[in-house]
Amino acid sequence: MDWRSLILLALFAWAWEARAAAPDPVTSVMWDYYHQRLLNGEAFVFDDKVRLEVPPFAEDARQVPIQIDASAYRGKVKRILAWAELNPIPRILDFAPGEHLEPSLAIRIRVEQATPIRAAVLTDDGVWHIGSARVEAAGGGCTAPSVVRAEAGWEERLGQVLGKRFERGEDSRLRLQVSHPMDNGLVGGIPEFYIEQAELRDADGQVLGRIELFPAVSENPTLTLDLRGDQQTELWLRDNNGNEFQAAF
Amino acid sequence: MRWILFLLALGTGFAHALDYHLQPRQIADGVWLLEGSTDNFAAENGGNIVNIGFIETADGVVVIDTGPSRRYGEALRQSIEQTTGKPVLRVLLTHHHPDHVLGNQAFAGVPIAALPETTRLLAEQGDAMAENMYRLVGDWMRGTEVVLPTEEVQEGTLEIGGTRLQLLALRGHTGADLAILDERTGVLFAGDILFYQRALTTPNSPGLDVWLADLDRLEAMPWKQIVPGHGPVTTDAAPFVQMRDYLGWLDGLLRQGAEQGAEMNELIRAPIPERFAQVNLSRYELIRSVSHLYPRYERNAMGRVDRQD
Repeated sequence: MDWRSLILLALFAWAWEARAAAPDPVTSVMWDYYHQRLLNGEAFVFDDKVRLEVPPFAEDARQVPIQIDASAYRGKVKRILAWAELNPIPRILDFAPGEHLEPSLAIRIRVEQATPIRAAVLTDDGVWHIGSARVEAAGGGCTAPSVVRAEAGWEERLGQVLGKRFERGEDSRLRLQVSHPMDNGLVGGIPEFYIEQAELRDADGQVLGRIELFPAVSENPTLTLDLRGDQQTELWLRDNNGNEFQAAF
Repeated sequence: MRWILFLLALGTGFAHALDYHLQPRQIADGVWLLEGSTDNFAAENGGNIVNIGFIETADGVVVIDTGPSRRYGEALRQSIEQTTGKPVLRVLLTHHHPDHVLGNQAFAGVPIAALPETTRLLAEQGDAMAENMYRLVGDWMRGTEVVLPTEEVQEGTLEIGGTRLQLLALRGHTGADLAILDERTGVLFAGDILFYQRALTTPNSPGLDVWLADLDRLEAMPWKQIVPGHGPVTTDAAPFVQMRDYLGWLDGLLRQGAEQGAEMNELIRAPIPERFAQVNLSRYELIRSVSHLYPRYERNAMGRVDRQD
């Protein structure tokens, strides 16, 4: 066997090995980085049972709807992280659904360019189940001027919550939209100003679920949660300037 | 090396082949149409997805919309002069969207007329739309820049070179939509108030209810032949029937979705009725319309729940 055959053989062997691991469904060059940085390099599996729905393209890069559904792991989910891999501000949210909340959620985000999106679901056996999707985009959503700040009187509406509870069999879907500019610090002269904490509580103040939000979330954030049962709930929000807002469903 | 040279030659060959091959088709006495495809903007079609028309008068030609690029506008002007042998007297723009107005450069020296709101919208959004067109169709756009209208028109009768045109000021598609009826031939240039066999687009629509009301006013005009903004010409009311059906379906889908708490990602995957199978790009435009319109439906379906103390 001459040296050229050996190189060829080595190349085949290398390709075979690369294929042996479960392939990244969206082949992102950033996966290893986020695996280390956000998941501490912990055990993971690319998993299409974690459903991550996004539109195929971002018609409005400032308001891209994403929907995460990990109900295949109902009762076992400890945390759900979501991020957009090629965003200047990649992190979207960190959601800890309690036992009364479905491990599902929908929110709208900003994207700066076409990017893979991930939903990493930590189950009680310590494994991260990674849902993946890709959204095409002309881009510019993170650095576009604020729509909220261009509207007269937005300060008076700060923290107003529009919402509704939708009966779904024995369960309830909660949808809400909060008036807030969610400034991400990337638009000249406007520092970060965004809602960073949300809690859903029951009538006795007991926490049903916690969400940490990051400024990849769109302005006037919209949020959808699925509640088991039909008990009364309260929403508590706090932004990074210490403003607190409350709403009741 | 020879392969590389060959591929290079092939590449430059394509670069020189950017020709719209415009063939005006006479659809009535003195009225011509340049019919575009019902596809989306693409490098393969140079953005020629739009219907452009012109009307010959005693003194010269009235042009209705100028096409998606400078290159298109120049080819249009050339084909008008070859077809009629007359000068262009006036350009009328139906609305400010890029596929209808980015050929304006080729009509320097000719009055370009539009509704005042169309001019305002083009001044506000034109550069961003032109930029997006460069991204979508590439080289065809070379040298294209936004040129604003130089004259205002209002609803009413306009007489040019002895030809009487009835102008209707509508709003449903962009907030400022001009429809033009040639009185003598009964040809109605509906602009994008009518899409036929091609899904309608909604990025600037003030609301589907406004659009539906526009259809009633437009259909009441004494037309004999309809030129939709996109799609084939008809002599019957089929485009009106399809538009009402489609707008009604879209409105119902969004309204019901908001009442039932649907997410955007659920709606963009909603089934499209079989009867719209002939309507090109309906899934693509549904995805866009959900983004444009659903937030309004959502807000209407929700109420204030914050604690106001």
